[in-house]
Amino acid sequence: MRSFWSGTITFGLVSIPVDLFAAVVPRQKSMKLVDDEGHPLGRRYWCPKHEKVLDDDELVRGYETDAGKVVVVTDEEFASAAPEKSRDIELKRFVALDDIPPFFFDRPYFLAPDERAGKAYALLAETMAKTGKAGIGSFVMRDHEYLVAIVSEQGMLRAEVLRYVDELRTPEAIGLPKAGKVVAAREREFAKEIDALAEAKVDPAELADLEAETLRTFAEQKAKSGKGVVSMAELEGDEDSAASSAQVIDLMQVLRDSLGASAAKGKPAAESPAAERKPAARKTTAAKKATAKQATAAKTAKKTKRAAG
Amino acid sequence: MAARAIWKGTLVLGKHEVPIKMYSAVQDQAVHFHLLHDKDLTPVEQRIVRKDNGREVPKEAQRKAFPLDDQRAVILEPEELAQLAPESDRAIHLLRFVPRDALGDEWFERPYYLGPDGQSDADYFALASALAGKERIGIARWVMRDKRYVGALAVGDDGYLRMTTLRRSEQVLDVPAVRPDKARTPSPAEIKLAEQLVDSITGPFSPEEWHNEYRERLHKLIEAKAKGAKLKLVAAKPKEATSDLAESLRASLAQAKGKKVA
Repeated sequence: MRSFWSGTITFGLVSIPVDLFAAVVPRQKSMKLVDDEGHPLGRRYWCPKHEKVLDDDELVRGYETDAGKVVVVTDEEFASAAPEKSRDIELKRFVALDDIPPFFFDRPYFLAPDERAGKAYALLAETMAKTGKAGIGSFVMRDHEYLVAIVSEQGMLRAEVLRYVDELRTPEAIGLPKAGKVVAAREREFAKEIDALAEAKVDPAELADLEAETLRTFAEQKAKSGKGVVSMAELEGDEDSAASSAQVIDLMQVLRDSLGASAAKGKPAAESPAAERKPAARKTTAAKKATAKQATAAKTAKKTKRAAG
Repeated sequence: MAARAIWKGTLVLGKHEVPIKMYSAVQDQAVHFHLLHDKDLTPVEQRIVRKDNGREVPKEAQRKAFPLDDQRAVILEPEELAQLAPESDRAIHLLRFVPRDALGDEWFERPYYLGPDGQSDADYFALASALAGKERIGIARWVMRDKRYVGALAVGDDGYLRMTTLRRSEQVLDVPAVRPDKARTPSPAEIKLAEQLVDSITGPFSPEEWHNEYRERLHKLIEAKAKGAKLKLVAAKPKEATSDLAESLRASLAQAKGKKVA
């Protein structure tokens, strides 16, 4: 079992050692790459000059300057760019959670307390919940700095990765036209249409993965004919799927161990199909359970061009 | 510099149709690197190979297999996939309007601005204005470049419509409900101190105050290295966990107050 990142949240002189886990996962029914006979395929780095496949330890990262010069940046140099941030999330500012515009939210993670966290984890979680606030800070993980809002939900701390302001465009920069005069009668017509479709909740069925459903139906039909069926055992050699199945973690267990918690019992993931799961808003209170997969990292690491920052 | 629309479509709301252009609301600022062979810095290429023998497989021979269960997967031929692709009619169907807080932040994936398209932008702004008065978001479904999307239609304080794509149910993990045992439950006094501490450093959310320092330092480091400067490397040190919580809180408060005076 492995978390994405381990470090310390600090606010004032209080420090809370935590482990970071994914709160969202890639779409699960991703297709496997095979050849026309069903042999599993993978990506490899290839040096066209030496005509050979390269291992990860034969690769370096180079930055091409405007002058066309290539500067190699070593792993140690990457780590050296902001060493304190690779260990700590210092909460320098607290804000009302509702003050953060939705556009800023990028990707959520769960924060589980390290066993050394003691009371401090619950203290921050409870304080955030009581005040409706979020702690803002930043940290470095895998050669990227992330701005995060630390928020509390049902006793659990979450790190919501936020976009930096320069990563967001503005209507002015896009060149959207200025609003003209709105015809009141037209606005009322639209308002009526909105009212006609008003509901209290999101229908979970609307958030279902229809693409996967369509593919599944077709694939099952095709399998009956026996055509194109390949063994999954063979495909499991695939490092992506190996990473996702071997690293499935029971977040509940992590929490029980680290909080000594009387965690509310949830249904095992297999018994709670996605379609039944209700979209949870910031303040809902259903007792649930989570299984985190760590496949994202493995997937994003395989590109010939890598980004940092 | 005006941005280019990535797609054009039509918002379908009851019997009304509002043509729109879609623009990405995010722009990549990451520092991009080439992967190089360490021996002589030759830029590397990616190859798709057979895992058992390492032989390269050309694009024409690559297929996708859909996993049925733990034992089997089915190869889907390109013509079969093309046949299964959803039909695109450029319509963005509004399914329902729900209160803004009906969806937590974890559902929101990628934001887009919608701008008016066509002869007149009157309907666009009339719809935006109508939606602004409702404190609601619209759940929408559409097909874009052969892919299905679900999104939330909202209007910002700036008066423009925006669409944020939503994650699918299976992607968002449930929050486990936990309550710490007694030994790890903070006392009311400690919570009160923590609230005071949080209050003392509470302010508005001002995104322009936050810079990606790592990215800035990385740029400087690259610049220095390009000029041939020798770099001093620093490693990270882990922090100790807090042992006496109340004492740390009091000391932090004193420090926060001291800063305010100064």
